[in-house]
This record gives sequence, structure tokens and C-alpha cells, in this order.
Amino acid sequence: MAVIEMESLTKFYKKDFSKKKVCALNSLSLKINEGEVFGFLGPNGAGKSTTIKILIDLIRPTSGKVTIGGKKTSDMTVKRMIGYLPENPYFYDHLSAKELLKFGGRSCNMDSEAIKERSRELLEELDLTAAMKRPLRSYSKGMVQRAGLALSLIHNPGILIFDEPMSGLDPMGRIKVFNLILKLKEEGKTIFFSSHILHDIERLCDRAAILINGNLNRLVDVKKDLGRGDTLEKVFMEEVKKTGGIRE
Amino acid sequence: MRGILSLAYITFIEGIRSRALFGIFIMALLMFAVTVTLTNLFMRDIVKVAADLSLATISFSGLLMVIFIGNSLLSKDIDKRTIYMVISRPLSRTQYIWGKFAGIVMLVIAAVVFLGLISSLPVYFAGLTYENPEAIFKWTIYFSAIALIAMKLALIASVTIFFSSFTSTSFISLMLTIATYIIGASTETVKGFLDSRAGGVDISPLMGFVIKCVYYLFPNLATFDIKLQASHGLLLPEGYFIWALVYWFFYAGILVSAASLIMERREFP
Repeated sequence: MAVIEMESLTKFYKKDFSKKKVCALNSLSLKINEGEVFGFLGPNGAGKSTTIKILIDLIRPTSGKVTIGGKKTSDMTVKRMIGYLPENPYFYDHLSAKELLKFGGRSCNMDSEAIKERSRELLEELDLTAAMKRPLRSYSKGMVQRAGLALSLIHNPGILIFDEPMSGLDPMGRIKVFNLILKLKEEGKTIFFSSHILHDIERLCDRAAILINGNLNRLVDVKKDLGRGDTLEKVFMEEVKKTGGIRE
Repeated sequence: MRGILSLAYITFIEGIRSRALFGIFIMALLMFAVTVTLTNLFMRDIVKVAADLSLATISFSGLLMVIFIGNSLLSKDIDKRTIYMVISRPLSRTQYIWGKFAGIVMLVIAAVVFLGLISSLPVYFAGLTYENPEAIFKWTIYFSAIALIAMKLALIASVTIFFSSFTSTSFISLMLTIATYIIGASTETVKGFLDSRAGGVDISPLMGFVIKCVYYLFPNLATFDIKLQASHGLLLPEGYFIWALVYWFFYAGILVSAASLIMERREFP
């Protein structure tokens, strides 16, 4: 059963101080099934973050329709179903990870005991227990990323949307995030994430979409389409060549 | 409601832990210390001078706090994209705006209560060092003046919330807030000048119309300034405080509601 449905999603952005419009996303239609790990890949400016921001209701499509669990993305019940990690997350400087998670839990109407218990679990799992009372501004990039992951998971959502969860992480940080996504996959969560790291997508995902210049170029079923010498990298490079170049 | 309160709480925490706030408080404490020294230079009305200077210190420090810290508490969310983290939670954009406003108002109240209590010390000591039986000073009016300063600052907070809801950078909303403050603090005087035709100066009907429009459009901050009455121990007209409160609710309510409407339509690419 599809939990995320996008139908002919199109997004135009206005260029500053001119009437010119740039097409960031062109008639994208996708269905993400329940319990599926779906990778979203493409070069910079392909429209990955635009799609994710539409899913989170940060921006609205110029045309087309998107539903999560059959409801509009602006619906509060949808927001309770989702855990979101933005690309390069930035949180409040003077809050600690513990306070951040408390806010996350309270915004989802969790009671204090449940927030405490879930925070303890997540902070331990993401190796942030020792730093949980420190202000977030003193965190390294990897720690901020992990705090963001903890925030997205605090209310135990069924659908996870991550925008470049491994960008800028050191090898250890990448392994931690990789293992966490793997664990979430085993728990049966629906995961939709964008990444430039093709190897990770290949190892984690059931399916992946290749987006170039705002167009969906190809849907890859990792088990069926890859193997026998075909890697995601090879498929991706073929698609880029077919497109005839990447728009800057 | 829980969403608004939890956002108000983290906004308050973020503001209260800001280093700039410590700087403002230290400046205020130094100014209070100077007040004690300075009042001793006056031979008469020491309490009046101390009250006047103390209230001016609270007002100025609070203004710096709202303009710089209050402004950054919302604009920085948009500048640094912290808003992604908040809006992706089950909070509507209207709740976001009201939560931010409530957090800044909490910060204003905490800061004004703290400064107000500290400020009463130089005024109290001034009363002890120089006894003047003719001097009339009433603590109730002094604390009413402090409460009105808090309302003025909270009103400026609603102005900064309104500007931050549609500007793209914190600098623009900061400039617009400062401009509004300057206009709001002087419209009463300008309109008074227009109404009294002081000095027999003729003002063109068009200019008179513009001044009236500015007077009704911008917040009338003079309403919240009763330093003169507080330092002279003059009683306020009956119902003054209630009318000031009604004006505050009306003006701040409109600005924050307008900010919510703008925010509901805004995109965050």
C-alpha cells in the first residue's frame, strides 16, 4: 500500500527581481509503499530537496498533488506520522539536546515520562548521552546531525524523510547513521531519503529514483535491476549521459 | 495550546541564555550605579531624578533587548533555517508565530521584573539620603510606569514579529522595527504640535492628513511612557491603565494575527 503519493508534482521558482521562472521539478509522479526504503538521488539542483520540502509543507507545488497516508501534507495528523531531518540541520544555539527532544516530544503531545524514556533511548543509541546537557552550538557537525535524527525519531513516527542524512559526516558518523537507518528498516518504517552516496543507497534501499534537472529519469528496483555487474553508479552515470548534461 | 507553550518556552530559554542579554543587563546595572552617583549631584528632587533615570534605563535596556534579541529570535529562525525543524513538527504556522511572540513577551516580562526590582534600589536610597517633605513620590505609580514599559516593549515585539514574517533577512526587519519605534515614539508630539498650531505655523492640509494617517497607523508608544508622572508622583487619569491595556491588546493582536496570515502563505525554499 502506498503511503506517500506524488502526482504530477511541478514546482517553479521565481528568479530574484525578474519575471523569469525556473522549473525545479517537472511533473514528478511517485508512490512510496509502506515499509519501503526509498532512495532519492540526483546531482545538485536536480529537485531532490524541493520534493522533500513539498512533502514537509515548507513549500507548495505550483501544480500537482501530494498526499501522505491519503491526507494533505499540511494536515497535523500527517505531521505526527512524519520524522524529518533537513539537510545541514541548524538548531537553537543555547538549547541542549535534552531540551530539544523535550520540545519535539511536547509538540507531538507526548507525556513527560514518555519523552524522558524515549530521549534516554535515542541519546544512548546515537552516542549523545554524555553531551545531552551541553548547548547545541558546542556540537560537532556529526553530533548536530545525530541530534537532528533523534529529534525526528522522538515521537516514533512511521514515515521518515531525511534530506542528505550523511552529508558532511566523518566515516564514524556515517557508519552510525547508516546503522540507524538499517535498524529503522528492520523495524518496518517507511524511509524516504536523498543522498549523493550511491553505495549507501544501493545497500539500504529497496527502490531508488534518479532525478535529473527536475525530471524523474529512472526508477531502479535495487534487487531486480542491479547485480550482474550493474551498479547504481553505472546506472546513474548512464542516465546523466542520456540527459545530455546537468543544468547548473 | 501545548504546542504554542512549548515553543514559547524554548524561545524564552534561547533568549534568556543569549550573551547579548548579559551585556544589556551589565550595561543596565552600570547605569543604575551611575544613577546613585549622579543623583547626589542634585540638591533638590533627588528621588524625582533617580526615578526618572531608573525608568529611562529600564526602557532603554528593554528596547535594546527587544530590538536585537527579540528580532533575532524570529528572524534567525528564517535566516538559519531553524524554522524547518519547527514547522515540520505538528505545529501550524499560526501556532509558530504566537509561540514566538509569547516567548518574547515572557522574556520581556522577566527582564523588566528583574530590572524593575533592581531599579527600585537607587530610588529607595535616594529617598533615604535626602529627605524632602515636599516631594511627592508614589511607588504604585513608579511600578505602574514599569508595567507600562513592559507593555511598550511587548508591543515593539509584535512589530518585530510582523516585519520578520515577510522580510527575507533579519537586518531588514531590524531596520523596519527601529524606524517604527522612532515614528511611534514621536507621533504624539507631532500630532500635538499639529493640533495646537504652536508658534502660528501653518501646516498644509495634505501634510496634516499625512501626519494623522501616520499617527493612527503606527503604534502610539507615548501612551506607555509615564516617566513624568512617575517621577513627580502624579496620579494617572482614571481608567488610563485599562485603556492602555485595551490599546495594547488591539494593536499587538492585529500585528501578530497579520504576521500569522502572512506566515501561512509564505514558502521556505
